[in-house]
Amino acid sequence: MNSAAGGGDPDRSWVGVVALVVLAVAGAAVLPTLTSARPANEVPVGDVGANATDPTAESWTSVPSVELALASAPSGLPGASNVSVQEAQVRAATNGSHAFVRVSWPDATADRNASDLREFADAVAVQFPENESARPPIAMGGTSNRVNVWYWSGGTSEELLAGGAGTTTSFDRSAVDAEAVHEDGEWHVAFTREAEMAGNRTDLSGERDVDVAVAVWNGSYGERAGRKAVSEWQYLAMGPGPQGPPYETILWAVAGLAVLFVSVVTIEGVRRTRGEPA
Amino acid sequence: MSTDDAQQEDTHVDIADGVDHQVAMVMDLNKCIGCQTCTVACKTLWTEGGGRDYMYWNNVETKPGEGYPKNWEESGGGWKSDDHSERQPGEIPEKERYGGDWEFNHSEIMYDGSDEPLRPQNVDPEWGPNWDEDQGAGEYPNSYYFYLPRICNHCTHPSCVEACPRKALYKREEDGIVLVDQERCRGYRYCVEGCPYKKVYYNAAKKKSEKCIFCYPRIEGEGPDDTVHATACAEECPPQLRLVGYLDDEDGPIYKLVEEYEVALPLHPEFETVPNVYYIPPYAPPQHSEDGESIEGVDRIPREYLEELFGDRVNQALDTIEKHRDRVERGEDSELMEMLQDKNPAQQYRLGVFDDE
Repeated sequence: MNSAAGGGDPDRSWVGVVALVVLAVAGAAVLPTLTSARPANEVPVGDVGANATDPTAESWTSVPSVELALASAPSGLPGASNVSVQEAQVRAATNGSHAFVRVSWPDATADRNASDLREFADAVAVQFPENESARPPIAMGGTSNRVNVWYWSGGTSEELLAGGAGTTTSFDRSAVDAEAVHEDGEWHVAFTREAEMAGNRTDLSGERDVDVAVAVWNGSYGERAGRKAVSEWQYLAMGPGPQGPPYETILWAVAGLAVLFVSVVTIEGVRRTRGEPA
Repeated sequence: MSTDDAQQEDTHVDIADGVDHQVAMVMDLNKCIGCQTCTVACKTLWTEGGGRDYMYWNNVETKPGEGYPKNWEESGGGWKSDDHSERQPGEIPEKERYGGDWEFNHSEIMYDGSDEPLRPQNVDPEWGPNWDEDQGAGEYPNSYYFYLPRICNHCTHPSCVEACPRKALYKREEDGIVLVDQERCRGYRYCVEGCPYKKVYYNAAKKKSEKCIFCYPRIEGEGPDDTVHATACAEECPPQLRLVGYLDDEDGPIYKLVEEYEVALPLHPEFETVPNVYYIPPYAPPQHSEDGESIEGVDRIPREYLEELFGDRVNQALDTIEKHRDRVERGEDSELMEMLQDKNPAQQYRLGVFDDE
């Protein structure tokens, strides 16, 4: 290393330190947004301003999409570990009065009904906690911690309540609508429900973040009931305040300051080793 | 086994846990003439229309033969062993293996004077219930066949119940009848896969599974004239080959035939579901020589074939029947032969025996 290049002019050294400080601070502030690294398991909630009941509606294009990895549910049913869908794209949105969830997943065949003895319809379900403040067991909730399920299968939608595998019960009157489109080997199903609801129904009015999980069934692969491809719990980031948990901002700030501190100490150390004036 | 021996033997009945009594049926295959009156009685009562056209909760098939649905015996289901811990995987048969709900030219022939043969219209079916009736097995003059009426076996260890992830199928506490709760059923059809006898049927119109209900409204007193009746398949049978009652009614003929004399056997015991429908195996005359003489000691229906259907115990059962036939031929009494010939409805259908409990 040419010592003349690094030393000599004290003014230039100071410019270097200042530049580093600025870079570190700016990096700490900007990096999270640049990487678009959402907090793990977050499903951002877009504002569509209008109606998004149609899964192909233009308004969906402005809503960020999250890719969820799917895996077989350990239901113990014959062939349960053998499922065909590996991922699903999820988008969530509100327009003030209604909540919308759109799920897209690859499926080469559109199995719309079960009118033959060996036919099963494709299906998708979106699961929320009945009580938004506690996360239920992922497999259809638990007896004291039930789940509110929006279910679409081959042209019909249902709203369900479940407290564990095998307990699914249909609401007498569903508050959920669903529209589905199959194009280019992919299903797009958009669920719509009034955002603010109470009782056995999950409130999606934006009071808080709400846990959500997704399941899909490929009918022509014999998938039905507990033989399904499911996601882990995610959460709809619809609560007030900074999106994502607060510890995240603190972590980024600590990281930025640590980078700054190490840089300054290193530069100062090098400078002293070379006997440069402070 | 003598009558006295049978009565002294300490027999008891294993019925399912949590079940008070177990309905049961004994069908004497020696009396079945294959007339399908039971089939029609059941169909008229329970499975006309509404997505049920292809279903025969009661069917009569010809054995040897491929049955209804075709090759149901190879369709899997049941249990891997008698500890009932692991189920055998099964399949859902294709619709074609049941046969279709064909339209026939009845009115043309009956009312319009058509000379056409009676046949399904606008289709060319390749299989249907009792399709292979005329085939049987063996060579002239020793060809043979017999009829096998089948309903749900209302098993003691029903693999259809175990297969349902929603517990929509259940065994009724009061009498062990296996039913599908239509409110709970979501049409997943694991029960269809799980039943080795293929006696649970998917109704594609209702998106639910359905099955034989052992005519429970009739045995509960909601039959014709608001009185207790045996199942329609039993009561309508011209040769009256069925006994209907409870397996644990120790004074009834079913208990005696199944538990004491052991001449009434379940179909395919190796499926390990422990059926509650029992069969008196067919007792055929011996083979004939070319000149029409009986060849004593050579069975017309090979024992190996009957073992395939009813297990090894069929040998003992047929030997017992033969012994009692000989006894009657010699002019002696036989309770067993009397039971197999009885035409006393009070004994044939014993349905009120536990009413006072």
